[in-house]
Amino acid sequence: MALISIKNLSIGYQTKGGLLKAVDNISFEIEQGRPLGLVGESGCGKTTIGMTLMGLLPDNARILSGSIDFQNHDLTQLGEDQWRKIRGKDIAMIFQAAMNALNPVMRVDEQVIEAIVTHKPGISPGDLDKRVKELFDLVEIPRIRMKDYPHEYSGGMKQRVIIAMALACNPQLIIADEPTTALDVIVQDQILQEIRSLQMIMDTGLIFISHDIAVVASVCRDICVMYGGQIVEMGTREEVFGTPCHPYTKTLLGSYLSLNNEWKVIIPTMRKAPDLTLKSGCCRFAVNCKICSNAGTSGIPSWINISKTHRALCCSEGIIRKKK
Amino acid sequence: MNMVKNSSLIQMKGVTKEYIPRKWFFSKDQSRVVALNEVDLSIKKGEIFGLVGQSGSGKTTLGRLLVRLEEPTSGSISLKGSLINTLKGPSLKDFRSKVQMIFQDPYQSLNPHLSIAQTIGEPLVVQGIGNTRQRRSKVLHTLEIVGLSPGQDFYDRYPHQLSGGQRQRVAIARAIVLEPEFIVADEPTSMLDATIAIQLFTLLLQIRETFNMTILFITHNLAAANYLCDRIGVIHEGCIVEVNTAKKIIGDPVHPYTKKLIRVQPCFDFNRG
Ligand SMILES: Nc1ncnc2c1ncn2[C@@H]1O[C@H](COP(=O)(O)OP(=O)(O)OP(=O)(O)O)[C@@H](O)[C@H]1O
Ligand SMILES: Nc1ncnc2c1ncn2[C@@H]1O[C@H](COP(=O)(O)OP(=O)(O)OP(=O)(O)O)[C@@H](O)[C@H]1O
Ligand SMILES: [Mg+2]
Ligand SMILES: [Mg+2]
Repeated sequence: MALISIKNLSIGYQTKGGLLKAVDNISFEIEQGRPLGLVGESGCGKTTIGMTLMGLLPDNARILSGSIDFQNHDLTQLGEDQWRKIRGKDIAMIFQAAMNALNPVMRVDEQVIEAIVTHKPGISPGDLDKRVKELFDLVEIPRIRMKDYPHEYSGGMKQRVIIAMALACNPQLIIADEPTTALDVIVQDQILQEIRSLQMIMDTGLIFISHDIAVVASVCRDICVMYGGQIVEMGTREEVFGTPCHPYTKTLLGSYLSLNNEWKVIIPTMRKAPDLTLKSGCCRFAVNCKICSNAGTSGIPSWINISKTHRALCCSEGIIRKKK
Repeated sequence: MNMVKNSSLIQMKGVTKEYIPRKWFFSKDQSRVVALNEVDLSIKKGEIFGLVGQSGSGKTTLGRLLVRLEEPTSGSISLKGSLINTLKGPSLKDFRSKVQMIFQDPYQSLNPHLSIAQTIGEPLVVQGIGNTRQRRSKVLHTLEIVGLSPGQDFYDRYPHQLSGGQRQRVAIARAIVLEPEFIVADEPTSMLDATIAIQLFTLLLQIRETFNMTILFITHNLAAANYLCDRIGVIHEGCIVEVNTAKKIIGDPVHPYTKKLIRVQPCFDFNRG
């Protein structure tokens, strides 16, 4: 059975310019021990989904429709009291750029201690001390620097503390929002390995959010690609990254820089940002889509099944045959 | 005046920066952090210079020193031949208009109380450029340039109403709005997906072309440095251990640390053409 299952979820932000549907009718499930990667364009709604699963949407946000089933509860219906019991304990999140959430006037180790004690008030001083050191070792911060203040750390070190804090209570579902963005590649490599092995040992559910396809591919077996609030393609990583079908996925892969492809990368022309005020169900990518502009399609996409596990949301059936 | 073409714009000589953490227990010598150690570096006018290195190696510190947000413990830094740490009054204001920094973490560097319009427009106001209407159109134009389009949709928002990558682009917009001569770009695209990052690289290359702008590009991403930079410097524990053309650094690295850096670059291969 799925650990968490999200059905037809839509989320809107009320702004001066009207209601922005930052998440439009998305559905997916997470199995224990089967990490799901969310990739997509900057601003496509990844963090919004994470915040919804933590019950932390800002005041101007509203769940427009859909359900989130987790342990026989529909999370969209919970009140703040119930959220407080789940948040941080059953579902934990490594927040995007959370290093500035560290308290500047509190020593780093004290902040990790706080994360543990909040959910385990009865822990003995000995166990607590052991756990804190364990966590620092895990994220490879020298113990001699445990008592520093956050400003004495580099960006990367702060991010490692944040990861330690999210792991503190052995949660069932971890949402990792760009957890390695601030890290250099060497440490990123170690942390990704750490996340993979922890994931196996603890058998948790993991939603791994990143803009970097290589990072996502190294951790997740299942991939959802998002564009403008919609999931536009999903499947195993081999399917989605090996035989991408949606035009956005293709652009994303084609513009990925690596050490030996600088002559081959595709530089997309500065495209129009997706219009989040569009009616639900309309293709958000259509303004930039070659297929649509050539064929004059309806602009109302539907799911096209490519395999049992691989599907894409598109207005044109042709995308299946056009794969490269 | 610039006498020689290709002359160096920025020069660091023997620059050391130490931090002495305030500790409540007996401070031993070893607790002092040497963030930069006797760094010599010169960046040419119109050059895009990449600085790569591990977390904590001193990249941001170096950048902050160059835009004079901090003073070196010892050594000297000059811009076009004149020492920057003696600048005062009008010449300091002039320096501030010519030199900009894109900060590493837009969650921290953007003032939450300023709207996007105010954030990007502030340097224009400080430097007394244009009237209200001209500034507005300049800000809107800059928003479009960094891909926050239509600009009106973002103009009146506040940082917390933007996604991570959108904030990062506001930080870039703020740094380029004055068309400075020199930009320190500290991980400017760390939060951006490949499609947007590469568009912004193209933008930086265009700006360099048009204004002969000089850029210090700080990054963890060697592939990006390789794409964008003329030369790359590798920094390790506060020392610059290798400087060379981008091609040489990637194709024929010398220092063991550089080799390691190249080895662990995330690669992406699902048998695509
Ligand atoms: N409080 C808010 N009010 C209005 N709009 C918002 C608010 N928060 C986010 N948005 C908008 O909702 C969209 C989705 O934002 P979200 O932060 O979920 O993106 P993301 O996928 O996490 O992007 P990134 O990779 O850049 O962090 C964006 O267009 C953003 O501008
Ligand atoms: N204000 C400060 N007080 C004490 N130590 C500091 C201070 N600022 C930086 N340091 C230390 O100086 C060293 C270099 O830090 P810096 O931020 O320059 O690294 P970086 O290369 O930019 O790392 P990252 O890639 O993680 O951003 C680190 O060990 C850091 O802890
Ligand atoms: Mg985000
Ligand atoms: Mg830094």
